[in-house]
Amino acid sequence: MTLAYSFKSAFQSLCREKWINILSMFTVASSLLIITLTAFFLYNVELVASHLPDRFSLVAYLNDNISQEEVQGIVDTLKKRDDIAGLKYISKDDAIKELKQTLKDARYILEGLNENPLSSSIEIRLKRDFVTSASAKRISEEIKKVSGIDDVYYGEKVAEAIHLLKKSLQNMSIIIFITISTGVVFVAYSTVKILFYRRKEEIEIIKLLGATKGFIRMPFLIEGGTIGFFGGILGIIGALLFYFAITYRLSIVIPLLKTLVFPLEILILLPVTGISLGIVGSVIALGRLKL
Amino acid sequence: MIAFQNVSKYYEHQGVLKNITFSIQKGEMAFLTGPSGAGKSTLLKLMYLAEWPDEGDIVIGDFHLQSLKPPQIPHLRRNIGVVFQDFKLINNLTVFDNIAMALRIKGVSEKEIKNLVSEALKKVHLRHLSDSYPRSLSGGEQQRVVIARAIVTGPLVLLADEPTGNLDPNTSIDIIKLFEEINLQGTTILIATHNRELFRNTRRRVLKLDGGNLIGEEIG
Ligand SMILES: Nc1ncnc2c1ncn2[C@@H]1O[C@H](COP(=O)(O)OP(=O)(O)OP(=O)(O)O)[C@@H](O)[C@H]1O
Ligand SMILES: [Mg+2]
Repeated sequence: MTLAYSFKSAFQSLCREKWINILSMFTVASSLLIITLTAFFLYNVELVASHLPDRFSLVAYLNDNISQEEVQGIVDTLKKRDDIAGLKYISKDDAIKELKQTLKDARYILEGLNENPLSSSIEIRLKRDFVTSASAKRISEEIKKVSGIDDVYYGEKVAEAIHLLKKSLQNMSIIIFITISTGVVFVAYSTVKILFYRRKEEIEIIKLLGATKGFIRMPFLIEGGTIGFFGGILGIIGALLFYFAITYRLSIVIPLLKTLVFPLEILILLPVTGISLGIVGSVIALGRLKL
Repeated sequence: MIAFQNVSKYYEHQGVLKNITFSIQKGEMAFLTGPSGAGKSTLLKLMYLAEWPDEGDIVIGDFHLQSLKPPQIPHLRRNIGVVFQDFKLINNLTVFDNIAMALRIKGVSEKEIKNLVSEALKKVHLRHLSDSYPRSLSGGEQQRVVIARAIVTGPLVLLADEPTGNLDPNTSIDIIKLFEEINLQGTTILIATHNRELFRNTRRRVLKLDGGNLIGEEIG
């Protein structure tokens, strides 16, 4: 009964102070949109980064005059390791074929050679968890000790860069998320503070009539939550506009954008986040009421 | 129903109420009189805790104000109907909603609110102004809205602070008659006024306050 009245009172106040409220909703909306786009950006980077380790591999070069049995022995040794996802043996002949293919028109470079200068090698794909600079280095040093292996090459810089990029993007997103969330809380805080002071006299009166703190607070919490909710809805609309602009307009001009993935499900979180942050702001704005 | 025991109240070290002791029986209707600035309003405020006593103890029904826990304050106030000297009407609510507020705070259903409010409006002869806003009413009409709000909840205690300050003599007599009726239904009433006409010939107790001291009582 009382709750129904609180809702009614909250919505009356929302309508009465519509400009403040609309302004706050749009501020919340743009803040939530920034969070969404950040999350979206991070998601795509993670996606790309998570595919990279598949392509990232160590290459173990084998001794020159190695026999087929010895190669099999090395492969068996390596397969026992639990940090390796897969192996591919590339013989001397395969290697030169591949090189010729790569060179195509420039294959005359190889013409003077009467002996294959390339070594046979084993391409080693690491399991995802081990694609860090440190573990790639450790693994390559361990593999180097296997007899028959001449040298191991690994893309130290690449592994490190991927790792660093991911980490710093994550950190940046966290900072953006915290900053913007605080901003949203502050918007709700100041709006509710204004609404509260505008109704100060009324509140003093209903206190004397016997209103509980809950009765006084409830309409403001509802208002803060509502501002957050509609901010979230507007944020969804903004994000969808962004999404359609990317998929149907910009990607025609810049085809690379077609590969972007936009997880629309996360948009559900916007009103929820809006409501929560709005209510948090309202709670802070109301502070400790004195009866 | 109401008991003051050695109650004092200071504003900036200035004693506004000094060592006040009196009691009012359940179902009694009494008056509190004294010149302007005597401390009548302050005495009433101590009862619904708009102000806190600095010394002494006050008991209202089952509420011992000295040891009252904060969550109990709303319960105390809901049991006391107050006709505020300065009205305290909410300007952006209609007459109906102002009166209904006292009931909404208690969680009364909207259907019941409709009945109770129109009943209270009838008692103060204001049914035709139900949808008006306080600002558009005369002082006397506003005062009667405040009275309606104070009685609509059927409080244990009714405190009226200068309830006829804005009313003509005839309406004032009507209001006192209304209080008599409410009193007959069991509500304890204390009326603060400096208008001696109000209690003349009522045969009710009149507490006399002057300069913050209770200087005696008489029968009106
Ligand atoms: N909040 C306050 N701060 C300081 N002094 C106050 C305050 N409220 C009241 N007073 C003083 O306390 C004294 C008693 O005030 P009170 O309002 O109780 O008088 P009253 O008997 O109701 O007078 P009136 O008949 O004019 O309504 C006055 O001198 C007033 O100036
Ligand atoms: Mg007074």
